[in-house]
Amino acid sequence: MKRRAAGLLVTLALASGLMFGIVRAQESITICFGFQDLETEFWVAGHKAITETLREQGIEVLEYNANEDPNRQLEQINECIAQGVDGIIIIPQDGDSAVTIVNAAQSADIPIAVFNRPPNDRSAGIIVVADNVSATEQAVEFMAQKALVKWEVTQEPIQPLILVGALQDTNAIGRRDGFFNVINRYSERFPGAFATPIEVATEWDAATALANLEAAITANPGVDFIFTSSDFLFPTIRSVLEPRGMWVPAGQPGHVIMGGLDGDATACSLIEQGFVDATGVQDLFLEAELTMNRLLQAIEAGETQPNEVLLDPGFALTAASIQFERSRMWGCVLFDEGFLDQ
Amino acid sequence: MSVTTPSSSPPPPALSGLALAQPGAAGRPRLAFWRRLLLSDYFVLYLTVFLFVSAAIIFPRIGLAGTLGLPTNISNQFLNMWPLLAVALGQTFVLIIGGIDLSQGSVMAITSVIGAMVMSTTLDPAMFDKSPVWGSILTAEGGLLRASPELAVPLGVLAMLLVGAGIGFLNGFAITKFRIAPFMVTLVTMTFFSAFALWLTQSRNISGLPEEFLRLGTGDIISVYLGPKLEAQIARRDILPAIAYPTVIALGLALLAQVLLKNTVFGRQMFAIGTNRRAAQISGVPADRVVILVYMFSGFCAAVSSILYSARLGIGQPSLGNNLMLDIIGAAVIGGTSLFGGKGSIKGTLFGVAFFVLLLNMLNAARLSPFIIDAVKGGVILLAAFLDVARARLTSREQHA
Repeated sequence: MKRRAAGLLVTLALASGLMFGIVRAQESITICFGFQDLETEFWVAGHKAITETLREQGIEVLEYNANEDPNRQLEQINECIAQGVDGIIIIPQDGDSAVTIVNAAQSADIPIAVFNRPPNDRSAGIIVVADNVSATEQAVEFMAQKALVKWEVTQEPIQPLILVGALQDTNAIGRRDGFFNVINRYSERFPGAFATPIEVATEWDAATALANLEAAITANPGVDFIFTSSDFLFPTIRSVLEPRGMWVPAGQPGHVIMGGLDGDATACSLIEQGFVDATGVQDLFLEAELTMNRLLQAIEAGETQPNEVLLDPGFALTAASIQFERSRMWGCVLFDEGFLDQ
Repeated sequence: MSVTTPSSSPPPPALSGLALAQPGAAGRPRLAFWRRLLLSDYFVLYLTVFLFVSAAIIFPRIGLAGTLGLPTNISNQFLNMWPLLAVALGQTFVLIIGGIDLSQGSVMAITSVIGAMVMSTTLDPAMFDKSPVWGSILTAEGGLLRASPELAVPLGVLAMLLVGAGIGFLNGFAITKFRIAPFMVTLVTMTFFSAFALWLTQSRNISGLPEEFLRLGTGDIISVYLGPKLEAQIARRDILPAIAYPTVIALGLALLAQVLLKNTVFGRQMFAIGTNRRAAQISGVPADRVVILVYMFSGFCAAVSSILYSARLGIGQPSLGNNLMLDIIGAAVIGGTSLFGGKGSIKGTLFGVAFFVLLLNMLNAARLSPFIIDAVKGGVILLAAFLDVARARLTSREQHA
């Protein structure tokens, strides 16, 4: 029995060895990178930019996927803290849980940076965030001007619709605010030009967005102005509009003025094809660079609780500007690399 | 009443070619060893210890002298265990009677939201003015008991527990009175209460929970410092919770579950129902009442888990528990609770949760890609389900022999 137990021990130990692979050599700096998921092009590109750049610098990166569960993300970050990592980068699930996670890291004297999705309390941690309101306003401004031209011809009020993200996410709130800032401003200046916007909840989930958008368009077939709070929903919008004959490029009758935010490869392609009029672009490469540089600077300087907000102003890429600015848009870069063909 | 009635249900149709299950194998010492190991109540514990020791021997970096052996890591893993254990205890009860409770995740979500709506001390009007309960239950000054802060935490916790047990009652009632399959009933309640939690909050987290409540998720009762005293002041990160509130709450619940299961007629009735419901009923077991009580206990356990998770994260979260069902059922099944009913134990679930948490910890410490980790996790749960079938078949054959 004892010999068999010993044999079993060795067999299982070897099996465990295969499972865990070869242990790599200890490197000088270890950074823990916890992300909530990689559901959209934006997060895939952000993940790639951060991990590849860090590894190119010889930094070891511990990756943790929380599968959209903030409690799991907290557990994972606590695990990183226990392992004594030098720094932490997180893409949190929402602004509330981010506050708890940043506090956990700072209590353990480990510098932490929050990438793109800021905590509700921005006083703690390195927070790199796009100016969602500004980027949205720039995109919706372009769309509103096009809508105004249409209204002046038809004198029919434009019916706007916004696909709203999960509102516990400050990015979603900023984008919604930016949209309403522009629509309200135009409604005041041009009474009767815009009907009351329809809000469609998406929870940042394509299936939820599809169901709710189907219902909204069925109830309001006259919608002629759609803004999505994230570009990843353009395929969803297309699947709703196309069967109804509403998926029409600009310049043709029945074109729905359309815009979004993120600047992904799909949006780049659709702007070139004329289906989408504008998108607010988050400068992903700039944000990744800001995050890594500031965190590494804090590690080198021995700063354990660096607190700073680093802002990406963002910009709008429109049908009019795509020829000149496509190299600035991360989605166009991916598109040119054949991302959509993969 | 007989609780040792052999199962009248046919053995699970799997593993027919497995040597373990071959008739006549009992006489062969090698197979007898494997059989004893597989059927042992401590199989998962052996596996857990083995996994830990083998990793420690082969990979010093993640072993006892490395990451896994760090006191902070061990302390973390225990803290990760308690909320999962709490909810898995309820699922164990349900599985023992041959049912399944898919609504536990949504019970966690709705109880998290309701507790926060009672206890919250401050709310941002811009975030919640679209909530259907804004202006009545929720205001800028906080939740329902904003005027009685001393009562907010006890009554908030009580509300969470009552709502959890109440949803369990609905599940049990529908299953026993309308004869609807547990899978379908709990799937419906899962969908309904998840949506209800999102509707109440308009999918926003409720923050501003009182400190007294947060302590339930993170507070230490006894803390320790392991190491030399080199400086006058010990850093907070070096102080570890030896006994924390979640430890006491989860182990207290486990003790209650153990007593119910092993030392009461109710526990024996559960096994009888899980083994053969009709036979149990003929023997005089009040099956409907037992089933309703078991689902109530499951909802209660989910609410306890919700308290621990909500307090730890500091928010009432309408999406709490959304992705947890696989972990809950996986931990119970790994612990030896049978998906076919009639078998399970509290210590098995405790070992199952420990194994699950340790496995994830080791995979993370081994610095594997998160995508591989998820695949391994799924594979382990599948293996546990496979072993469940093997054990059921083996037991059945031995009984027939």
